[in-house]
Amino acid sequence: FRFKDSLAEDLGRADLVISHAGAGSCLETLEKGKPLIVVTNEKLMHNHQLELAKQLHRDGHVLRCNCSTLVETLQSMDLSTLKPFPPGQPEKFALFLDKVVGFQ
Amino acid sequence: TGGHTTEILRLLSCLSESYSPRHYIFADSDKMSEAKIRSFEQKRAETFSSSQFTLHRIPRSREVRQSWTSSAVTTLYSILYSLPLTYKLKPDLILCNGPGTCVPVCISALLLGLLGIKRAIIVYVESICRVETLSLSGKILYYFSDYFIVQWPDLKEKYPKSVYLGRIV
Repeated sequence: FRFKDSLAEDLGRADLVISHAGAGSCLETLEKGKPLIVVTNEKLMHNHQLELAKQLHRDGHVLRCNCSTLVETLQSMDLSTLKPFPPGQPEKFALFLDKVVGFQ
Repeated sequence: TGGHTTEILRLLSCLSESYSPRHYIFADSDKMSEAKIRSFEQKRAETFSSSQFTLHRIPRSREVRQSWTSSAVTTLYSILYSLPLTYKLKPDLILCNGPGTCVPVCISALLLGLLGIKRAIIVYVESICRVETLSLSGKILYYFSDYFIVQWPDLKEKYPKSVYLGRIV
């Protein structure tokens, strides 16, 4: 792939996504409603980059494994256990900001 | 930078046209943000015909993992650069979400406020990627912003003065 401008098209056609724990990749995949397995490597990644992947896993939105357990995960996974990822709500921010600034 | 720009444009997506004109400030080293911003504003202009916006580049205050001493110098340079820009724009509201670029701009705004020239409301929204810890910009601006918004409950607990609205991007 090298560097494509956007993975949106490929994501749209995928049935399953296996990704590193980068926030952009995780969120883009979940927003498209695709099942996601996040492969984390605690030694390689800076702590804060893992935070989102860990939380998404805790909340049941993604499956998680490391490089050595990937095959096993693929063999035993049950994607139906994954919970849908509801979109963020920027309208709540707009309401809040309107109050702060005085536009009511 | 990339992720930050995407997030901030989502934050802007539901704002009314009262939030105009919009001045976007980003790092001179950022190659992708300009295109994203123009695309967003173009789409917006389809609904709100009187949309006004400007773009400004400032020197990047700090590279990832840059040493403290050299960061102090580059941040100072960024502050000196952003002070006249902030003075010229005299914003009523500053909305930022974490790249190093926002710190010099906010510091400039605070200075202008202290000098009685212009008092801006500073609203900081920490990135959705920050679940348990704040970014460096966040740690600084937690004390200097008027409203500090976090997107995960753990951070609300750790930083009680913050505002938690759930996920907003």
